[in-house]
Amino acid sequence: MASSAKVAQQFARQLVTLSLVDGSVSAERVGGVLAYLEKHAPANAIAVLKAYHRLIATEVAKGEAVVEHAGPVSEAELASIAAALSKHYRRTVTATARERPELIAGLRVHVGDDIYESSVAAQLAALEASV
Amino acid sequence: MSTVLEQIEQQIAKLSSKAVKKNTGNIRTIADGVAKIDGLSDVMYNEMVQFPGGAIGIALNLEETEVGCVILGDISKLKEGDEVTTTGKLLSVPVGKALLGRTVDALGNPVDGKGPIDSKEAYPVERIAPGIIVRKSVSQPLFTGIMAIDSMIPIGRGQRELIIGDRGTGKTTITIDTIINQAKINKVGLASGDKAFRPVYSIYVAIGQKNSNIVRTIAALEAAGALEFTVIVSAPAADNPANQYLAPYSGAAIGEWFMENGMDALIVYDDLSKHAVAYRQISLILKRPSGREAYPGDVFYLHSRLLERAARLEGKGSLTALPIIETLAGDVSAYIPTNVISITDGQIFLETDLFNQGIRPAVSVGLSVSRVGSAAQIKATKQVGGKLKGELAQFRELAAFAQFGSDLDAKTKAQLERGGRIVELFKQPAFAPLPIELQVSVLFAMQKGFFDPIELKKVVEAASSLKAFFTTRKDALLAEIRTKAALDKDLEAKLQAACEEWKSSFAA
Repeated sequence: MASSAKVAQQFARQLVTLSLVDGSVSAERVGGVLAYLEKHAPANAIAVLKAYHRLIATEVAKGEAVVEHAGPVSEAELASIAAALSKHYRRTVTATARERPELIAGLRVHVGDDIYESSVAAQLAALEASV
Repeated sequence: MSTVLEQIEQQIAKLSSKAVKKNTGNIRTIADGVAKIDGLSDVMYNEMVQFPGGAIGIALNLEETEVGCVILGDISKLKEGDEVTTTGKLLSVPVGKALLGRTVDALGNPVDGKGPIDSKEAYPVERIAPGIIVRKSVSQPLFTGIMAIDSMIPIGRGQRELIIGDRGTGKTTITIDTIINQAKINKVGLASGDKAFRPVYSIYVAIGQKNSNIVRTIAALEAAGALEFTVIVSAPAADNPANQYLAPYSGAAIGEWFMENGMDALIVYDDLSKHAVAYRQISLILKRPSGREAYPGDVFYLHSRLLERAARLEGKGSLTALPIIETLAGDVSAYIPTNVISITDGQIFLETDLFNQGIRPAVSVGLSVSRVGSAAQIKATKQVGGKLKGELAQFRELAAFAQFGSDLDAKTKAQLERGGRIVELFKQPAFAPLPIELQVSVLFAMQKGFFDPIELKKVVEAASSLKAFFTTRKDALLAEIRTKAALDKDLEAKLQAACEEWKSSFAA
């Protein structure tokens, strides 16, 4: 059982490699991979697809910055965040805004599994922990 | 008032608006104190990770798509999907003299209800053992206060001496005796005002033991006045295996502080069999490949990297380790015992048969050895007890032969008589370590034949009488042996005279 899960994981990883163009997920390639899997379904198709989904989600998250904010954020600010992150990670990062009033003020940016925290709520939490 | 404002300003400055980067992941599965985490792409091996609710974990398995963490603390509130963040820190424990007299858990948190520990420093739990250049050979004795050990299997400062035996053979008692003896020596040495005196601080690490046993140990140390020189690291059987796995390393870190700061320390790992079992449990849950007896492949390294941290350092202090291993039916050739035997600088083997015969401590002279040898003995002990091990080994061999027939020559009979007396002399009650000067006096009396005319059954009584005689009436002589640490002609004459005096008083 464990070995079949491992095989599915390895196969999914190979499919993810095929789905990338210049380090970013290509919708066209993903469509091609899915079409291939529909025609030539592997023995453990569900496990492969689940693993593929998880890995693609991780890859997609690496190229998408979710900017949580409590207060107005202009398009120019979003663009500058995206540019700064693209430069830092050396890959194209797009930024999308999401309002989170519980941050009180400031920003929290998620890129992949990194978080850049610059909100008042986080600073208050840090102060509470230090006292 | 202005200082208050400055403090607040400093606090504000610390919380500047600069963004803080965190690397995060999410719990995918959690079971038996181990979590598999998605994400955490920047995590380091052995790094502390923060779980929600204050629990912390250690990243032990770094795989391509997930991270395996052991969780230290309360896991009841954690669930799948919870966010986990890296801390960028390796697991550390508070160290220093503030820990003396305290009982802490594997993370250095006090568990004795005596309030917080005012410690200024912290040492990483995992540390690379000192290398070749900085090490110094073991040459200073560490007296256990147990006559059979100090005279035949001497332990030196910086040595690793294994204590091995079946359950209920007195392994823990030997280590407690040693800790008590260090406290006694410390008190005498510190009171003397001798600037060259180096006290020995003790660390007792309880791994997978019953809480009631740990309480009993603490009570014994407190009753003997040894707790003030001792740190107790407790990871009882009720603790999760991660804490039991970490406790010896935490203890070693606490001991290393003493060593690095020019002091001497003694650490007792009670016991490493249970430590190996806790590590096996973690490894199996982490799905690491298992080997012999289902232990993971790195079980040797688990103990070797721990015991290698005990050393005597050039220009600094020392850390002496007394690991304990519990055997099953006296089988020293099992997996974990052979591993630890090969790592240590000798072993004290305790036998159930001897224990049941009333020979306590039940040290098996044939199987016990100290690879440091007489380098870790004072000259006086060498003078009076140099041949003891050989004599006792011969006695055991002859005693086995003598069982088959009673027709023995005079020489064999004499050897048997002498051996029997040595065995009786080495009997010692628990928690009553003997100062080295008293051991020298008793062994001197034995070598000079003062116990020969005494009936075998009365040897223990005679030895007690001799000890009482020396302690109460020959204090100055004992102090002289202690300071000279060698028997010259003058001292030998004084000892002879004192023994004669005792002999007349004992016979009367």
